[in-house]
Amino acid sequence: MALLKRCVAVGLSAAMLVSLAGCGGQAQQPTGAPTAKETPAATEVPAAQDDTKPAEKVTIVFARGMDSTKASNNIVEAFNASNPNIQVKFQEMPSDSGQQHDQYVTAFSAGGSEYDVFDADVIWPAEFAQAGYALALDSYIQRDGINMADYMEGQVSALKFKGKMWGMPKFTDGGLLFYRTDIVDKAPGTWDELMEMAKANKGKEGTEFGFVFQAKQYEGLVCNAMEYIAAYGGQVVDGDGNVTIDSPETIKGVQKYIDIVKSDFVPNNVTTFTEPESHTAFMEGKSVFIRNWPYQWNLGNDPENSKIAGKFAIAPLPKGDARSAATLGGWVSMINKNSKNPDAAWELLKFMNGAEGQKISAMDGGLSPTYLPLYNDADVIAKNPHFGDKGFVDGLKAAVPRPVSPIYPKLSEVMQIEISKALAGEQTAEQAVKNMDAQMKAAVADAQ
Amino acid sequence: MQVKKDVKVQKNTYKPPKGLKKGLSESQLAYALIAPALIMILVMALFPVVRSFWLSLFDLRLNHPTKSKVYLSHRLNMERYAGDYPYLEQIIKEAADEAQGDVKIELVSVRDKILHINTTLMSDQGIKKQYDQVSDLQMRMKPVGETLQYVSIDGDTAKSMIQIAKEVDEQLHKIKDTPGLKQIVKEIRDITKDAVAGAIIVPNFVGLGNYAHYLKDARLAAALGNTFLFTICSVSFELVLGLLVALSINRSFKGRGLVRAAILVPWAIPTVVSSLMWQFMYDGQTGIVAHIFAWLRLIPDSGYLLTTRTGAMFSVILADVWKTTPYMALLLLAGLQTIDASLYEAANVDGGTKWQQFWSITLPLLKSTMLVALLFRTLDAFRIFDLIFVLTGGGPANSTETVSVYAYKMMFNQMDFGKGSTLSFIVFICIALISIGYIKILGADVLKD
Repeated sequence: MALLKRCVAVGLSAAMLVSLAGCGGQAQQPTGAPTAKETPAATEVPAAQDDTKPAEKVTIVFARGMDSTKASNNIVEAFNASNPNIQVKFQEMPSDSGQQHDQYVTAFSAGGSEYDVFDADVIWPAEFAQAGYALALDSYIQRDGINMADYMEGQVSALKFKGKMWGMPKFTDGGLLFYRTDIVDKAPGTWDELMEMAKANKGKEGTEFGFVFQAKQYEGLVCNAMEYIAAYGGQVVDGDGNVTIDSPETIKGVQKYIDIVKSDFVPNNVTTFTEPESHTAFMEGKSVFIRNWPYQWNLGNDPENSKIAGKFAIAPLPKGDARSAATLGGWVSMINKNSKNPDAAWELLKFMNGAEGQKISAMDGGLSPTYLPLYNDADVIAKNPHFGDKGFVDGLKAAVPRPVSPIYPKLSEVMQIEISKALAGEQTAEQAVKNMDAQMKAAVADAQ
Repeated sequence: MQVKKDVKVQKNTYKPPKGLKKGLSESQLAYALIAPALIMILVMALFPVVRSFWLSLFDLRLNHPTKSKVYLSHRLNMERYAGDYPYLEQIIKEAADEAQGDVKIELVSVRDKILHINTTLMSDQGIKKQYDQVSDLQMRMKPVGETLQYVSIDGDTAKSMIQIAKEVDEQLHKIKDTPGLKQIVKEIRDITKDAVAGAIIVPNFVGLGNYAHYLKDARLAAALGNTFLFTICSVSFELVLGLLVALSINRSFKGRGLVRAAILVPWAIPTVVSSLMWQFMYDGQTGIVAHIFAWLRLIPDSGYLLTTRTGAMFSVILADVWKTTPYMALLLLAGLQTIDASLYEAANVDGGTKWQQFWSITLPLLKSTMLVALLFRTLDAFRIFDLIFVLTGGGPANSTETVSVYAYKMMFNQMDFGKGSTLSFIVFICIALISIGYIKILGADVLKD
């Protein structure tokens, strides 16, 4: 239920995008946005207001995964230019998010202060907050009067843990369906329709497959599975952290995923596919449909790399019995609790994840902003026309977060193994769901 | 041995200092002289094992607030407590004021219990002082630092605090659906869990609990099965192929030097690189090996290799055999060259066939080399990690997950160092058993000397 509620809330905030485009006015607070209620007590407001701007020149380190665009460098340069007292050093981390996670945990659990500000995958905040690696930002947010209603609500809710905000949203991601406009007229409305259309159109225009997606045993498998589960009305964990995966709806969702993997219109080795394998196949013109993240749009429209530039469109993922659901992805920025200069770190965070910084990452990096007013910004839309695209916006509207839990890595591992076994035909969807239920409940009890 | 000889030589000329004359016999002196080397070996070889074993006795999770270090006594995480308690006290008072009837009674009782916990804690002057220092630092948004972060508390206080927190949680659970108070009751529950239960650190020594857990763990059983299957298959293929290669390059023919060098190429390529290379060759769409196998009807379709249990295990073994056969061949070649050629001449004179020569001369004389090579390879294969991690990541459906891959995932993915260390130690025990087995069964005579 809570998942559903959260999804509705995401929907509302995304619906705002559309209404904003119409009226162009100030962002309204979406109904039920709990900003006022969950701000912390007065006791946490910093007593000394005068150390907002450090008098001495300080150097802080900003870490994020490898950025193949110039956006991160440009943000750091712009910030350094406008803040003479703070010098930011940019530290690149591995591009694999799992490896980044492991490096951060190693550094932070040793109490290290080498990174002051860092970018975190949207699934980490609960874990990092629970472990005491991150600084709660409520007092800063309150002091500087930042209106969290300006940000996408799905992203904000992923940052909220135990009633506090542990970071600021940076950019958003969600699973989307891309389809070849030279082969099919319109996107399928339901997963069953997708299966029919993929079967019928496989082979046209030189395609070999109807549909490609991700099904290797890795984090992306969880993202894909979550979409089927949520589309058919199932959920993994409810808002209170109770495991609620064992339901006929979840079984139906997992079964649909299995049916698609086992069908004859997908590559015979689709269970080894991650994002690069699937986008390569799609851009080589081998597939009618692909489930991928928004980056596919810019990459696929680059004629140097892609044989199908200009020949595809975006749509929300198909519906199940319940609705259309996309896994919420994206990144947030957090402050290391052991940072020696938390005030300077906050200044960077405020700049980078506020209007200016997010505009740079949208313009130079092609990332989808979480700061809603930017979807009205003429420069941003001119550079990224798909931000104005209905399929794109509707797709992100349907985004549901993965379970917000401090033991997310464990839950994810259980899902990866059990669903992978089901996809390999070693167990039925029902057995997989029963096994996940038992193992997740044990993990949650063990973590108490 | 060297050391002992030296001592003997010096025997006649060496005059020990007076104090030592009586105390140390000759052999004792020898031990004293080699002691530094022995200590070095013990420190280098045994310390990691002892340390892993020590960690495996704890419930140690890097990303768990109260289990991230080895704790042998009860403590309170002052940073967490001081950070959350004032807010908890405030919202619980607000909620109690707002509520009506039975709910109010429950909330007042909860409030009293929370206040009681705080009063008990603050009755200790040392704790009170540290609490004030920490909350002062937090007010000014300054890092608390390690010295102030924790405070020792006695076990009984800790236990009663945990008990009270549990009662509070149950009471709150009963009233969690009160209209109008839903949100605040949930928040009080969360913060009580966080600030009280989550701040008390209980010693996390579990003895052999982690081992007991793994005794019943089906995933470990599967991982051990995969590891043994991989080890037995890859090592036996490597032995046979390595011997064939060694025998053929032991003969003299034109270009032998070049062949000997070329054969080492697979061994010289870094494993991560060769794993990626094989990954491309096994790929169901574009992989050459996959297509050749499918064309030869060895596999039902080209996607079979990396997507099925049998296919994936076969792929991993094949890649390993390709990579390490040269190593085996090189070791065996060294053994072959120590065999005296006159033995073969004598056999020729006596009319022995090549086959008889192989069975009666080559194999027996190669036995000790073979044992060493097998020992190295078995140990190496048993802790296989890099090849599998890159090629399959343990998948599909965990069918190629070995014990080392499992231990890695436990330690660096789940950050569970207690369980991860337990797995590492289990690998150590298995390897020790394998080594003992080799020495007992095959080569007691070889190592006697």
